[in-house]
Amino acid sequence: MTLRSASQAVACPDCDLLQTLAPLPPGAKASCGRCGCTLARQPGGPKDLPLALTIAAAIIFVIANTVPLMDLSAVGRSASTTIVGGAYQMWMEDEAITGVLVAFCAVIAPGGYLLFMLTLLLGATRKIAPPWVGEMLRWASHFQVWSMLEVMMLGILVALVKIAELATVAAGIGMYAVGALMILFPAIAVTFDADDLWRRIEWADGAMPPEQVAGGAIPEASR
Amino acid sequence: MADEIDRTELPQATVVRRKRTRVSIVWIIPILAAVVAIGIVVQRVLSEGPTIYIIFKSAQGIEAGKTFIKYKDVNIGLVTAVELSENYGRVVVKAKVAKHAGGLMVADAKFWIVEPRISLSGVSGLNTLLSGNYIGFQAGTSTESQRSYIGLDVPPAVTDEKGRKFLLKAPTLGSLGVGSPIYYRQLAVGRVTGFNLAPDGKSVEVGVFVESPYDRYVTSETRFWNASGVEVTLGADGFDVKTESLAALIAGGVAFDVPEFRPPGGDVPADTAFTLYRTQTVAMKQPDPLERRFVLYFDEPVRGLSVGAPVTLLGLTVGEVTEVGLSVNPRTETYRSRVVITFRPQAVFARLDKADPAKATLEARNRNLKLQVEQRGLRAQLQTGSLLTGELYVAFNYVPNAPKVKLDLGKDPLELPVAPGGFATIEAKLASILTKVDNMPLDAIGVDVRTAVETLTTTLKDADTLIRRVDVQWVPEGAKTLEALHQAITDADRVLVNADTTFFAKDSPAPQDLRDTLQEVTRAARAVRILVDYLERHPEMLIRGKPEGSK
Amino acid sequence: MTRGTVTAAQAGLVSCEACQLLSRPANADEPGFCRRCGEELEFRRHAAIEKTWALIVAAAICYIPANALPVLNTTSLGETEADTILGGVAFLYTSGSWPLALIVLVASVMIPLGKLVALSYLLITVQRGSVANSHDRTRLYRMVEFIGRWSMLDVFVDTFTVALVQLSPLMSVAPGTGVLFFAAVVVLTMLAAETFDPRLIWDATNPHRNRHG
Repeated sequence: MTLRSASQAVACPDCDLLQTLAPLPPGAKASCGRCGCTLARQPGGPKDLPLALTIAAAIIFVIANTVPLMDLSAVGRSASTTIVGGAYQMWMEDEAITGVLVAFCAVIAPGGYLLFMLTLLLGATRKIAPPWVGEMLRWASHFQVWSMLEVMMLGILVALVKIAELATVAAGIGMYAVGALMILFPAIAVTFDADDLWRRIEWADGAMPPEQVAGGAIPEASR
Repeated sequence: MADEIDRTELPQATVVRRKRTRVSIVWIIPILAAVVAIGIVVQRVLSEGPTIYIIFKSAQGIEAGKTFIKYKDVNIGLVTAVELSENYGRVVVKAKVAKHAGGLMVADAKFWIVEPRISLSGVSGLNTLLSGNYIGFQAGTSTESQRSYIGLDVPPAVTDEKGRKFLLKAPTLGSLGVGSPIYYRQLAVGRVTGFNLAPDGKSVEVGVFVESPYDRYVTSETRFWNASGVEVTLGADGFDVKTESLAALIAGGVAFDVPEFRPPGGDVPADTAFTLYRTQTVAMKQPDPLERRFVLYFDEPVRGLSVGAPVTLLGLTVGEVTEVGLSVNPRTETYRSRVVITFRPQAVFARLDKADPAKATLEARNRNLKLQVEQRGLRAQLQTGSLLTGELYVAFNYVPNAPKVKLDLGKDPLELPVAPGGFATIEAKLASILTKVDNMPLDAIGVDVRTAVETLTTTLKDADTLIRRVDVQWVPEGAKTLEALHQAITDADRVLVNADTTFFAKDSPAPQDLRDTLQEVTRAARAVRILVDYLERHPEMLIRGKPEGSK
Repeated sequence: MTRGTVTAAQAGLVSCEACQLLSRPANADEPGFCRRCGEELEFRRHAAIEKTWALIVAAAICYIPANALPVLNTTSLGETEADTILGGVAFLYTSGSWPLALIVLVASVMIPLGKLVALSYLLITVQRGSVANSHDRTRLYRMVEFIGRWSMLDVFVDTFTVALVQLSPLMSVAPGTGVLFFAAVVVLTMLAAETFDPRLIWDATNPHRNRHG
């Protein structure tokens, strides 16, 4: 693990305050002195943990989307749906935009997040990470904002309680899969050391090697 | 000394470096996830049953992913796709069958769509209104497995049940159809499976299936009858309703039983033919050895007397009318009704015969008959069975003072004498009432009423004028007279009003009385008129009274 | 304020939004591109105040039909009943599951409204150059960012109710037009939270001359 230089300077993303970061022991995090925003986090677990979790999450994600979430039966009829099925039903009921939105927040965003995380983690196994890893990381962060699996889970539960009055509901494998994902996603975010990755990334223009930044120098932006 | 130990001579402890694990323990998580995923996939693959194709004419209510195939109320498959066939003429339903039911997919298995259906055997499939249509399944016996089927349009009539088939012959099909129920003592025990015209085209052959264990009640003595609808007899006997069930009402039905007067009968093999009787009565009719026919001639109209109407003796049913027709009276050369009755006294006379077997021979009976008719006055009469429907029946009664007749035993069928029936009396009574009403001098009464009214009006006017002319001071008698006059006028008025509204009421005074009253009123009015005229000319009369001698 | 507080903007440095690398800007007007990750550098999020206001207004406009129009049409044995969000809350309450009613009420009515109010407040205080309560305001912003996604709850409830209750003629459910407007409100407020730059809150305390939104 590369050590942080004693005099590395950062600006707080929330309040723009310039401050220096001290090296962090494992499991600790650095907060902004003024507004409390988390500046850096040193994950404590094994290095491979994020990748392992991401792979597991990817497998479970596939299960969650292919297997029915639950089985509903009433008066001899039964219905079951997958996440995509729910979005598809909205599409069929002339609420196409809502259906697409649901699909995005429940499938595309989390799926994209996992996909990008997976690729970048695999790419980051090298000592000097290729530049596209940075691109991936940016995309992954964007997707992370829009992936709403936990909201969806609560929504399903509320819907089930409403429906449970007129039908018997049995939770399917898909439901448990989504529950597992709800735990895995934050776990991945917590155990992933973005700063370390950024430091190891090969720079966009390939010019300044990372070591010099570690030495404390503030680079000049490119035009 | 042993105290001084040279550190350099001590062996060096082994350094055990912490082995850098290639694979850290965290990989358990994805491995676990992978295992679970593979497990799910494997389980799905293993539990997958065969895919079958069923071709239907139309796919009403069949939805991909929602419609089940049910056998004995268990879901054995699910429809996965519904598509049109290549030439767009049919619908191809693709379904996935559960693994445990894979063995049922044999060559002669049958599929049909279960939907709400009102058929001859009743209303079925109502639960599908709520649960959606499903595909019904009937297992076959073949051992050859098959994946492509042609779906039936209607549910199959006979399923894999135990029982026996029989053949019924009837002149017409009646209201029977495929699926019509078969009843034994009002239990549904089977159904009609099919029918076709007999080869000679003169009768219909109906195939029926009786479920076991009820099929053992079909014996050589069994009679089948058509129990469709309701057998209502609204006859002179009264009102009688016979029906098997609501389904029979709608869908027709056949019932069977062994007649009481027959032995139970022996076993019959399957496909035995039986006659299908028209009604239960006809089926269960036992032949009567005492049966004979008689003919009756009536001069009165016999409308309301139908074939099958009962013939009674002192109120007991002893036979029925078998023919109603017309003939010519040779004596008067006028038309008269000819009624043939069949006498079936078995039930009624059985006791008498048992008591006195000597009387049971034909000659004895004829002699008895002659006695009854010629000397005791036994006559046949037409009587009203029901005023509501006007149904008539033939009743044998002892008629007092009946004109003497001679029974000619030589004729065949025997002619029995008749007497005028009760209905004619009623008719005659009604006719006389109507004649009386007709004869009432209604016109004359009307004229009288008019005249009385006119006179009264004039009288009232004059009285009114007189009262106005005279001073308020009245002589007591005059006052009384006027009081009385006033009263008379009021009464007359009331009478007229009453007459107006209750002229034709039941309890109004007899027309003649009314006429008299009116004439009285007219006379009174005229008298008053004269008085008023006189008063006008001699008003002092009120005080002095009528002078002697003047009118 | 503690002594020695200097923001990057005041010091003339720009922080990369993506990789947090501090760089010296290429020039004052056009800071240039981050050399590490290639992302365009800006002192403050571009046109933050304008964009955020526009999105808030749009969301507020959509808020009215979102609550007025029905979100769920239930057809039971031929009879159709339309339910708005508040109607759904009332239904949950009267049918006994008041915890769920509360959850839906908070998530679908109070949170979007709260976000609109909070963001408006933040924008107004920034535009007025207020220096008070900067820390609390920052915390408010973080709250808005965090809680925003939970307003999507009702959209998911709707979606899965529709997907599952298709048991006609006994009961079938169809989405109402209100759902779309409601989803729009959520999306617009989430975007508004993203376009707003929280550093603007602190610019009143640490003013700088560099271009900002």
